[in-house]
Amino acid sequence: MSFSLFSVALKNLKRKSFRTGILILSIGLLVSILVFGSSFILSVNVSIKRASERLGADLLVVPVGAADFAEEVLLETKAKTFYMDKSIIERVKNIEGIEKVTYQTYLTTIFGLCCDIPAAKVVAFNQDTDFIVKPWLKKAIGRKLKKNEAIAGYEAYENFDLLDVERSVLFNIEFDIVGVLEKTGTGLDNALLISDENMDEIISRSGVTVKPNQISLIFTKVKEGYDPYEVGRRVENEIIEVDVIARSDMGKNIISTLKDINNVFLITIILASLLSTFLAWTIFSAIVNERFREVGIMKAIGAKGSHIVTMFIIEVFVLGLLGSLVGIVLGTYMSLTLSKIFTLLRDVSATLTLLERVEIGLFGLLVGTGICVVGALSSIIRIKGLEPLTALKEV
Amino acid sequence: MSQIELYSVSKIYTLEDIEIRAVEEVSLKIEKGEFISIVGHSGSGKTTLLSIIGGILHPTSGTVLFEGTDIYSLNEDSLSEYRAEKIGYIFQFASLLPVLTAKENLLLPTIFSKDKRANSEKKAEEYLDMVGLKEKINAYPSQLSGGQQRRIAIARALMNDPEVILADEPTGDLDEETEAEVMDFLKRINRERGITFILVTHSSELAKDATRRIRMTQGKIIEM
Ligand SMILES: Nc1ncnc2c1ncn2[C@@H]1O[C@H](COP(=O)(O)OP(=O)(O)OP(=O)(O)O)[C@@H](O)[C@H]1O
Ligand SMILES: [Mg+2]
Repeated sequence: MSFSLFSVALKNLKRKSFRTGILILSIGLLVSILVFGSSFILSVNVSIKRASERLGADLLVVPVGAADFAEEVLLETKAKTFYMDKSIIERVKNIEGIEKVTYQTYLTTIFGLCCDIPAAKVVAFNQDTDFIVKPWLKKAIGRKLKKNEAIAGYEAYENFDLLDVERSVLFNIEFDIVGVLEKTGTGLDNALLISDENMDEIISRSGVTVKPNQISLIFTKVKEGYDPYEVGRRVENEIIEVDVIARSDMGKNIISTLKDINNVFLITIILASLLSTFLAWTIFSAIVNERFREVGIMKAIGAKGSHIVTMFIIEVFVLGLLGSLVGIVLGTYMSLTLSKIFTLLRDVSATLTLLERVEIGLFGLLVGTGICVVGALSSIIRIKGLEPLTALKEV
Repeated sequence: MSQIELYSVSKIYTLEDIEIRAVEEVSLKIEKGEFISIVGHSGSGKTTLLSIIGGILHPTSGTVLFEGTDIYSLNEDSLSEYRAEKIGYIFQFASLLPVLTAKENLLLPTIFSKDKRANSEKKAEEYLDMVGLKEKINAYPSQLSGGQQRRIAIARALMNDPEVILADEPTGDLDEETEAEVMDFLKRINRERGITFILVTHSSELAKDATRRIRMTQGKIIEM
């Protein structure tokens, strides 16, 4: 590389490698908090939004008081069971504005029961009326599930070690694992899906809590021209045993509990930014002060103000960029590893796309570098107009 | 028109109400290619005068013309260009950048000049050789003796092919032998390339080689 202001700037940074390191590290920590926080907030919001959009139903009808459970089962990876009577299906169907309905029953395999996959989420669905699983099923095997057949959700397939097995025991019954669904971004990803023709046998052969003629949840589509909220209210009024969740409200409970976490992140980031700006300001003030003489010499041998500014700006940018890169790597690493530790993150199934990660990274880069620039600005302006060293004395 | 013309140039420093007339009413014409020596007691204003000619110190009054242009009426950037392109300044005190190696210190002024970058690497090596420091090419100033640093500063002053070399006691910390070598080198450059050479020195020995000799006393000049 030929010699340039860039080389001078780098050498200046190297000279004070400890101080340079401290600044890089503190910018790095700030940016890592930023990247981790943004990844966290974004992945939770995005996955909940995606999941509710993909469910493909306008209204969910659930047993009274089970709305939170339902959201957790549908949008997250949790296994929860809650039941209501099957007869409610007909009553919902008869309400004005309802176009079609289907239902699902949620089961959890019992831990410790011989040969079963422990604590797996099993979704029994009705194949004649289903419009929720159908599109995914069609892509996966192109036909309906037969009795004693199961299909695994994208993540369940890996998590339950189904990779090499062709059959598995659920509720004391052998099931053929006939395939695996594509990633849906919903709670289906962590479930094993079976046809509800199996329900009678399951109830008779295992100790599950569900009774015959019980279901967990009803999905409905609303006729065109009807307001889903209006129809939902009608359902709740006429059937007191149920609660209704509209699609656009889905996930609201989960998101609102996240608001506090959001705010904690925000405050941390603001404080860390202020601290880093202050640190950058202090360090650059010191840098500039101790370099008066050198800058004076540079000016005396012909440097323009712009050369001096360029040199310092390069130093600032290199610091900012290195710090930000450290932060991006650290923050991304944290968000990838901590997502396995925090249940909240683990339960939200969607992971961020590369583009989303890149966007967050760029944002971190911008803030990290911006803070360095803002912190250094006054010092750079101060030294830009410095008189050339008159060489009259050795200061 | 002479290359450099000074008209009633004065520099007055004020220190707590006391006026110090470092340079007083100096008028001087210098032709291209001249070798001028300036002698005088310590504090007589030699460095001040040289700084004013070199474009690094605004005079309190008077005009400095370089090839007819009043350099102190130029804007900041043009004055910087004047310093970078026309002047090679050898400072009285250490003036190398401590983070840069000998060679990089030589390359530094070429960054500030638009058209001096070509072949600058080779030129730097050549000049280091000429001042006898070929083997110190990658040494940092802190690893060099005072005299070696001085020689590097001399080589640096030549890097941008200046039209005028201003040398403020350039051989101050050199032994007699090295001093003679360095002076021969500078005089050769003055002769061969027609570069104007203004030398501030305490040594009447060195001063007598000059084509013109000037003595400074209390800010005023007397031609000898
Ligand atoms: N920045 C300054 N502020 C106040 N007075 C100054 C300043 N710089 C120089 N002087 C004064 O101006 C006078 C001339 O100084 P100058 O450095 O030009 O002398 P000199 O002839 O180069 O001396 P020497 O041979 O010791 O280098 C001195 O009296 C000095 O004290
Ligand atoms: Mg002096």
